[in-house]
Amino acid sequence: MLRIAHGRVFDPANGVDGEVRDVCVDDGKVVEELPSHAPRIDASGMVVMPGGVDIHSHIAGPAVNAARKLTPEEHRADVLDRTAITRSGTGGTVPSTFATGYRYALLGYTTVVDAATPPLAARHTLAELRDTPIVDKAFLVLMGNNLPLFELIRGGGPVTEAVAWWLEATGGYGVKLVNPGGVEMWKHGNRNVTSLDDEVEGLGVTPRRVLEAIATSVDELGLPHPVHVHCNNLGVAGNWRTTLETLDTLQGRRAHLAHLQFHAYGGTPGKRPRSKAPELAEHLDAHPEHSADIGQVMFGPATTTTADAPVTALLREVTGGKWVNADLEAETGCGIVPFAYRERNYVHALQWGIGLELLLLSRDPWRVVLSTDHPNGASFLSYPRLIRLLMDREFRNEQIGRVNRKAIGRTVLKDDLEREYTLGEIAVITRAGPARLLGLGDKGQLGVGADADVTVYVEHEDREQMFSRPRYVIKGGRVIVEDGELREAPAGDLLRVAAFHDEAIGRTLQPLFEEHYSVQLANYPVREQWLLEPTRRIPARRNGSRG
Amino acid sequence: MAAGAIERLIRTCTIGDEWFAERAADAPSAARIDGREVDFADAVEASAAILCEARLPLVFGLGQTDCESQRAAVALAEAVGAVIDPAGPGDEGAAGAVAQDIGLSTATLGELRDRAELVVAWRADPVVSHPRLLPRLRLDRAGRAGGRRLVVVDGGRTATAEEADEFIEVPPELDFEALWAVRALVRDVPLDGDLAARLPLDALEQLAGRLRACGYGAVVHRTAGYANRLALHALVRDLARVAHVVALPLRQEGNARGAEDVLAWQTGYPSAVSFARGHPRARAGEFSAAGMLERGEPDAALVIGFDALRHLPPPAADHLRRIPTIVVDPRPTETAAAARVAFATAAGGVRREGTVHRMDGVPVALKAPLPGERVGDEEVLAAIAARIPSGEGS
Repeated sequence: MLRIAHGRVFDPANGVDGEVRDVCVDDGKVVEELPSHAPRIDASGMVVMPGGVDIHSHIAGPAVNAARKLTPEEHRADVLDRTAITRSGTGGTVPSTFATGYRYALLGYTTVVDAATPPLAARHTLAELRDTPIVDKAFLVLMGNNLPLFELIRGGGPVTEAVAWWLEATGGYGVKLVNPGGVEMWKHGNRNVTSLDDEVEGLGVTPRRVLEAIATSVDELGLPHPVHVHCNNLGVAGNWRTTLETLDTLQGRRAHLAHLQFHAYGGTPGKRPRSKAPELAEHLDAHPEHSADIGQVMFGPATTTTADAPVTALLREVTGGKWVNADLEAETGCGIVPFAYRERNYVHALQWGIGLELLLLSRDPWRVVLSTDHPNGASFLSYPRLIRLLMDREFRNEQIGRVNRKAIGRTVLKDDLEREYTLGEIAVITRAGPARLLGLGDKGQLGVGADADVTVYVEHEDREQMFSRPRYVIKGGRVIVEDGELREAPAGDLLRVAAFHDEAIGRTLQPLFEEHYSVQLANYPVREQWLLEPTRRIPARRNGSRG
Repeated sequence: MAAGAIERLIRTCTIGDEWFAERAADAPSAARIDGREVDFADAVEASAAILCEARLPLVFGLGQTDCESQRAAVALAEAVGAVIDPAGPGDEGAAGAVAQDIGLSTATLGELRDRAELVVAWRADPVVSHPRLLPRLRLDRAGRAGGRRLVVVDGGRTATAEEADEFIEVPPELDFEALWAVRALVRDVPLDGDLAARLPLDALEQLAGRLRACGYGAVVHRTAGYANRLALHALVRDLARVAHVVALPLRQEGNARGAEDVLAWQTGYPSAVSFARGHPRARAGEFSAAGMLERGEPDAALVIGFDALRHLPPPAADHLRRIPTIVVDPRPTETAAAARVAFATAAGGVRREGTVHRMDGVPVALKAPLPGERVGDEEVLAAIAARIPSGEGS
């Protein structure tokens, strides 16, 4: 047991906005009270928040590992020594697994969602997550270019049962669509789809039908997290129309848009993009069933790591450097390009500006939450700097003054937006909001019964410094970090959904597996306990009240 | 299965039959020191002592054990400040090095089966090395009936060449030149006349044309050496501008890919890593097991699932014989017989469950049709690691 005493508590899910109070934890949970002799942390003058929750990151699995293999220079420049309690590792934009867990914890994050796992490679992702210590983790299962699902969608088959089956077979948490239809087209002579109504060649489905069918299934299953969509046309000038059309298509169904910044461009394809952030921010405000994370670009190194393989083929031509493409049968693709965002580059500066616009114009921080799409827009290690950009207008304006002027001229940032995020709002976009959007009721809040994941910061005018180095990080009631040093490094839990399916789906899938896979259906589901434990199941509410 | 034994193997090839026979046979005693049967705990203790006393221990093999054991091997190597090389026999490590330097375009086997119209076997002879590959990818003659094309490029008429639609003869010493020439042809860059004269230019030109024109092409290869692999990856990268072309190296060992993957996720590097300074360091070539042994650098070795003495170049094998060696292997190998400490383990896929990564990266679960009392490689490695004082190597 532990009493975190006299801190300024920011717990927006419970309406607590900076009141000085105690947070008591026992046996891994937040409790009402503790005996007076309970051990205590004196948090006087400190800021207390729930542990951070990352709704969209890439930390494990074959794509991330391919990116690791591709970046030895970064690893050489950033090493972690073995200690009595930690494994060694390497950092850079794509750290080794152990380093990933430690660095998230050192940043005050206690829950991380890997946003894109090919279901066929679930064993690989699970094995990496097992080697990613401290944080609790979940992963989203890629389903937007899945040939058996395409066949069921085209033929009016039991899509919902199949979606549930795939989640159960992999240990996944939610459903991800990446450039639905487009990645399949990439395998047809390097093509893509450019509109929601392009037919995926020979397969009788369109991106729109895939979006509708899968989003409907996710709602029918009552999954805790809505369908998580990486829209078509990522990075293409003028793609904001595709984004709006996607939202319109999903109207009335819950949906979360990934890295909205990459999908908020005006202009015409092939020409210089413009910002359409204000239009998208307004649209999202008006549609409470929809949400987004930002995918903020930060200047410096990044590694584009995505299932959207055609995008990285374009980036390869920009950088002329390393490139990985990996086609994964029946399910998805993968593309990787190490990249650097530069202040003076028009496009990069515009991307940076659009991310800030979206965050600053959004009126509902619960539905527009922080991410850098790690390691695509930047490493998760840049969150503190991003927080400073949001909280400190003077700092922001100074930074705006350093970047490509033309690009900033295309954004509303030139108007000197007055908004400064409050600590309470930061707690929403980094904890409470993501947890709520993920449907993780025990995370992102400090009410009685919540997980005892708590981060304590020393107040500092420089918010980047403040958020870079929490004074304490408590995970599951244990003090993991003290003064920027790890004290212990326990394993975190796998968070997986419990969504039940009709066993008869196996008979439907059997012939589809025989046709499309080089592994048999019977050998596909992950049953190995050592890959799945320790696990916490989060129940879906099938046919529940959400409607 | 019948009476607790494997009665008949189905859907295996001759290599698979041999693999099962070696691992399903009655195993030697579980733990030996200098050839004498000892208690498991004593063997563990002796192993830990050897590794702790060593100035520069070497851990290698790995390609024939499961990912769980590879994971334990990396942890142990780190704990004792060892060099660990996942490369196995030959120069498989080059695959990782080239991938680090320029990347690659690749695909899983199902994609090759279902999409590839044109498959080039470049210095690969899967009919011999991977006997079920062509039928499973529907690349045998019957399977290709729909108009798919198999082209073999090799130094002589291999068994796979006999199965192919076309055979292009290129002597092994001109591998790089041939790949570079195809690359030039793909990019419409003029060829050096002297070079062209040494190559079957017409055939290569036709091949370049076919690759450029295909909807989905694949190159399966066993190119040797860094430069040749680099040339092949560069060719595929160039082709990617005009066609969808992927490459897949055919691996010799069942879980060579897993060894590379596990090392990469734990350290950031897919090829040989040194933990001597308390964190992972990788330098192409410098830490290769064979090279280090040839130079006489390691003063102790831990060999996992690899009959090193039969595969290493003689000078490297000689040094391995001279230093205290621990062998963890389900099979009674020459290397195990010569070891200071030998553990005979339960084989993954026969007596123990586990995960392996196919050569295309797809993770698959191993079953244990003959479960027994004996522990697997993972448990042995973890037991040794548990006897290493913490902080060692840091």
